[in-house]
Amino acid sequence: MSATSSTIPVTVLTGFLGSGKTTLLNRILSENHGKRIAVIENEFGEIGVDNDLVIGAEEEIFEMNNGCICCTVRGDLIRILSNLLKRRDKFDHIMIETTGMADPGPVAQTFFMDDELREAMSLDGVVTLVDAKHVLLHIDDSDEVKEQIAFADVILLNKVDLVSTTELDQLEARIHAMNSAAKIYRTQDAAIDMDNVLNLGGFDLDRALEVDPKFMEPEYPFEWSGLYALEAGDYRFLLGAGPDPAMNMNFRSAEAASETAMRETVEKAVLVFSDNEVELQTGAVIEPSEQLSQINLEGDQLEYILRVPAAGAYTLFTEHHPDEFEAYITDAQGNRVEASFEREYKPDHEHDEDVTSVGINTQGDLDLDKFQEWLRVLLAEQGADIFRMKGILSFSNSEKRYVFQGVHMLFDGRSDRPWREGERNNSLIFIGRNLDREALNAGFNSCLT
Amino acid sequence: MSDIDLSEYDSELVSELWSIELDDYIIDLAISPDSNKLVAATVEGSVFLIDNQGDSAQSTLIGQHANGINSVSWRSDGAEFATAGQDGLVKIWDGISGKVLSTLEAGNSWVGKVVYNHHRNILATAAGKHLKLWDEQYEIIYESSDHASTIADVAWSPNGSEIAVAAYGGVTRHKPDQKNSIKKYTWKGSSLAMAWSPDGKYISTGEQDLTVHFWNVKTGEDAQMSGFSSKALELSWSTNGRWLITGGGIDICLWDCSGKGPVGRTPRQYAGHYNKVTQLGFQPDGDLLASTDADSFLFMWDPIKHEKIIGGAKFSAPASSLQWSHEGKLAIGHENGKVRLLEVNSIAEK
Repeated sequence: MSATSSTIPVTVLTGFLGSGKTTLLNRILSENHGKRIAVIENEFGEIGVDNDLVIGAEEEIFEMNNGCICCTVRGDLIRILSNLLKRRDKFDHIMIETTGMADPGPVAQTFFMDDELREAMSLDGVVTLVDAKHVLLHIDDSDEVKEQIAFADVILLNKVDLVSTTELDQLEARIHAMNSAAKIYRTQDAAIDMDNVLNLGGFDLDRALEVDPKFMEPEYPFEWSGLYALEAGDYRFLLGAGPDPAMNMNFRSAEAASETAMRETVEKAVLVFSDNEVELQTGAVIEPSEQLSQINLEGDQLEYILRVPAAGAYTLFTEHHPDEFEAYITDAQGNRVEASFEREYKPDHEHDEDVTSVGINTQGDLDLDKFQEWLRVLLAEQGADIFRMKGILSFSNSEKRYVFQGVHMLFDGRSDRPWREGERNNSLIFIGRNLDREALNAGFNSCLT
Repeated sequence: MSDIDLSEYDSELVSELWSIELDDYIIDLAISPDSNKLVAATVEGSVFLIDNQGDSAQSTLIGQHANGINSVSWRSDGAEFATAGQDGLVKIWDGISGKVLSTLEAGNSWVGKVVYNHHRNILATAAGKHLKLWDEQYEIIYESSDHASTIADVAWSPNGSEIAVAAYGGVTRHKPDQKNSIKKYTWKGSSLAMAWSPDGKYISTGEQDLTVHFWNVKTGEDAQMSGFSSKALELSWSTNGRWLITGGGIDICLWDCSGKGPVGRTPRQYAGHYNKVTQLGFQPDGDLLASTDADSFLFMWDPIKHEKIIGGAKFSAPASSLQWSHEGKLAIGHENGKVRLLEVNSIAEK
């Protein structure tokens, strides 16, 4: 899949029935003035078409008889797209809408496996629509939902008007933990700037890998934060018995009593949570600081003092959700103080995802032979569970960046532009099921020279 | 102005009788049995009837299929021809006047193939998974949807008693006169193109996974050949059924199917093209081979004798369809809408 200018970009649109695919498709068709777009869709929806072509397709999955168990392609797409290619100078972009239950794997693999399409077209991106209100009904038991999220380059959390900000934050954190490489947008009626969904340049990994500096740590070391507007003085942090004997926390000042200010403290808190903790017993005084406090939670009635030096905004980060310990804060008079803003960072424990992302970001140069062998074995053993991978690699024998992306056992890479001064680095990401973060890191590091 | 360059080849093997310019990619082309007419169909759905006047030609746009055309076939008496559209329809046209005689519902919006039986006036249509066979009055005499995917190709057996269907999952043989006589050559792959050897012994298929299969019709044995750099959709048998020529990349391969068949025999390879082969065709009742490539070249070969190119031409666009007439003239349709007829002069014995 060489992304030369003559290849036709293909965007794959996935999402459950009712998530807003047709709405987005209609927007794309109506807002892309002057571009001819061919649409291949499984269900004929109500699509406004003037000079565009809409073709119905019935999903036909072909297994490839090449010993690669997950190598499946979409025969219907090969047939239809090969035919479209004969009219090629008349189309600028191809949109493929899949059914709600479709596995995006065979669609994506089609552009790696078929020699004709591989030459003429490039997979520009997989755009997945998620119904923010209803996705929670499916996300735990539906492989299709998980795969559609895992395969995405862009995720639209649609219908945000139907859910609260807190619910959205939770959902976004969960999706982010599953696919850390995807760019997530919150939308209503699938309203989005076309530049965010079209012409992403599937191979432009800079964007995928740099867009979110946190992608290395999709899981936060804390589950909850609350921002409080407090007067100077002592406050009581009261906790009851809970599932854990101790909990890490950080109490710190914030710039202002706003949600934005709380978000800005998150990065700093992540750093604090990687420090050594200071063990505290009930009754201890905690002042706003860069200290990671480990508060003892053995006992029924526990109390820690939050000492506020001056009136202002303060954020409390806790390793576990305060509800697990029936925790709350009171002022000196015993009145309960509620947080102005709250945010949960990690889904509840029962939501430990089987689909996750593992990012690797390492300095150093790779040995080409070692890396190829490692990847070969990895894909042979775990290819079925690895939905996507993307990376920019530094090989010891090359002055150029090596960029690659893959789908299951298939991958495609090429040398890119030369490395700039001080830029050499390896960053790659695996998105898949049952990924072993430590093993992937160790395996990758063993390929360094 | 001519867009054919014959200067690179000393041989006077090939000369142009005429060429005309239609407006669109020629997706299929068929010469009438008496060679007086040609039908050219474009990818966007136009049907042209071409009057072959020997050293010139006249084309008439006689109709359309909405969304495009996939295939064209003449009835063996030349009185009618059929077109397969992406509009779910098969149209039957008068071979002289170009008027539509009938319109048939083929069963799915994608009508991939129409092929007349050369022994009886039966038309086979393939649309989606549906195979339908129609009699002279265009009444359905047989139908089957027993195919795992959209039908990619169909071929009548040389004696006309059976029809083979290529789809995902292999080849299925149907007998129009016997309802429950389906025979399947099953395999886990997707057959895209098919050619039945003129002696009836082999059904060859070109596959999605870059292999070519030879199904022994009598035993059902499958011989699988790999090593192609792209899908081998170009398959052509010599008239005697001994040789199959295949594309599937830059080099052409010739498979000897005499005696025990192609298994264990190294195919002969013919290097000459610098880009993907797009069309191949063995001369009927002769040994010459015409091949075209994505760089717009035509090469002529005498492949059974030797591996040398014996003639050729360079065009302004790659050939998208190629057909020999019964008299050994070569009709070529191009990606840019050109259609031409070439005279292939007999080669002097040396």
